[in-house]
Amino acid sequence: MSRETREISVDYLARVEGEGALFLSLDGDVVKDLQFKIFEPPRFYEAFLRGRRHSEAPDITARICGICPVAYQTSSINAMEYAAGVTVDPRIRDLRRLLYFGEWIESHTLHVYMLHAPDFLGYPSAIEMAADMPEVVTNALRLKRLGNQIMTIVGGREIHPINVKVGGFYRAPTAAELEPLAGELRWAIETAADTVSLVAGFEFPNFSMDYEFVALRHPDEYAIVDGRIISSRGLDIDVSEWSEHFEESHVERSNALHVRLKERGRFHVGPMARYALNADLLTPRARDAADSVGLHPGESNPFRSIIVRAVEIVLACEEALEIIEHYQAPDPASVSVEPRSATGFGASEAPRGLLYHRYDIDDDGMIADAQIVPPTAQNQAQIEEDLRKFAPWHSHLEDDVLQWHLEQAIRNYDPCISCATHFLDLTVERTGAR
Amino acid sequence: MKRLIGIGNPDRGDDGVGWEVASRVRSWHTMTVTAGSFDLIDDWDADDEVVIVDAMRSGRATGATLRIDARANEVPTSAFASTHTFGPAEVVALAKAMGRLPRTLEVIGIEAGTVVHGSTMSSEVAAAATELVKELEHA
Repeated sequence: MSRETREISVDYLARVEGEGALFLSLDGDVVKDLQFKIFEPPRFYEAFLRGRRHSEAPDITARICGICPVAYQTSSINAMEYAAGVTVDPRIRDLRRLLYFGEWIESHTLHVYMLHAPDFLGYPSAIEMAADMPEVVTNALRLKRLGNQIMTIVGGREIHPINVKVGGFYRAPTAAELEPLAGELRWAIETAADTVSLVAGFEFPNFSMDYEFVALRHPDEYAIVDGRIISSRGLDIDVSEWSEHFEESHVERSNALHVRLKERGRFHVGPMARYALNADLLTPRARDAADSVGLHPGESNPFRSIIVRAVEIVLACEEALEIIEHYQAPDPASVSVEPRSATGFGASEAPRGLLYHRYDIDDDGMIADAQIVPPTAQNQAQIEEDLRKFAPWHSHLEDDVLQWHLEQAIRNYDPCISCATHFLDLTVERTGAR
Repeated sequence: MKRLIGIGNPDRGDDGVGWEVASRVRSWHTMTVTAGSFDLIDDWDADDEVVIVDAMRSGRATGATLRIDARANEVPTSAFASTHTFGPAEVVALAKAMGRLPRTLEVIGIEAGTVVHGSTMSSEVAAAATELVKELEHA
């Protein structure tokens, strides 16, 4: 086969949230250069949090993302309550978990069915898939709507909830308001379990990576609203120790800061990391669904992340049902949080992975400094490494097919570029033999 | 039922025209959303008459109104580009693919001028909104 120069450029990546691009330069099957670019403009959230009251952080940071606002609210609230030395009533914490599971259901359903499944089934988008599989898409819409309903009842509205505050909620929903969700959640558990079987039947590239997984760990639950930060290579730290072990840096190709473990470099956050580190804490139906398709905690094929997301939908529905069945409205719905001069640290598990916040609060309860580290920013280096390893496997393919596989590899991470910039566009440049 | 869905961002000048029309029409059941979403197809029933109003960028003069019978015609994706993943064109295409179209479905685009955050609506788009409200009230 003749040698040739190949340069593939994807100027605007599809089916990801936000604006990003990919540039790939190939010399035969050797990757000369690969850049996962985030060109969505920086949004300067940390800067305009300075000088705002500590109580404003949940509402301001929620605006970073329309898909995962609860994640931002929860991590910021954790940080503010940490700074003030406040612990909330377990019933308030359960209500936070319920709201967060609503977000997981909505976000994971959107990605599994609408954004990622078409890749495996050979459809250009969910619209073409819907024509052939209307019942699957109908179920997806119903699941997504359930997530939205939970968000609306607990959070006040389905996007950017307004019922959330430092210390708890402005108003706790009544048991009667939550009860109608129970029947739909029972349907959703079975539908999501069927989805696990459906997506596990997809054809996956035989590809795996040696990841360091990083996620929250809670002793009694599959962690979502809080926990210690642990990794598959022995990291086990309090959230307040984050900056001792992780560092952010700017790279020219990205308006989102890259994040590295100081000792070992890149790492992987998200559903696969959570599953690797918390599989022993799955809920019963989620455990059964995972076992039935042979999904092991050591799963390291990023394309199979779609199965993990489906398992997490089962878990989210089971956990939400459990909370609703035992619900007692917290009274009062919030505790008083008196700010003090301190630094607050907070983390939670956004649908896409660990979301870390840090705030310096002054004597007047004002935010003096803020740091927000979203999951997609943390995954950037790992996404590039996946692509660097994956591209040579498919270097024999025509540019358009290669591009499609590379975009699929990026969607494994369900990247939220808008969050990361608080970003996609592929360029492939080829030289040498194919 | 006659349902009017206004799409857009009321804090971005002319992009708020869908919301503006929805807020002033009295004889339709109205709702507003910030972006097109697949979920919208659950918001109408098979017997409904549905109108979707959104700002567009089609190259026409600011304030120009384009009415598309979405049951009979394709809605141009390019004119209704969204900063999010889905716009009205995708919602209509999904509804067609799934056999979930309402009895009538019209997509009305009003050509936007400025969509800068914090800007006010242009006089051309405001006038087009007023005219459209009158037409819809008498439809």
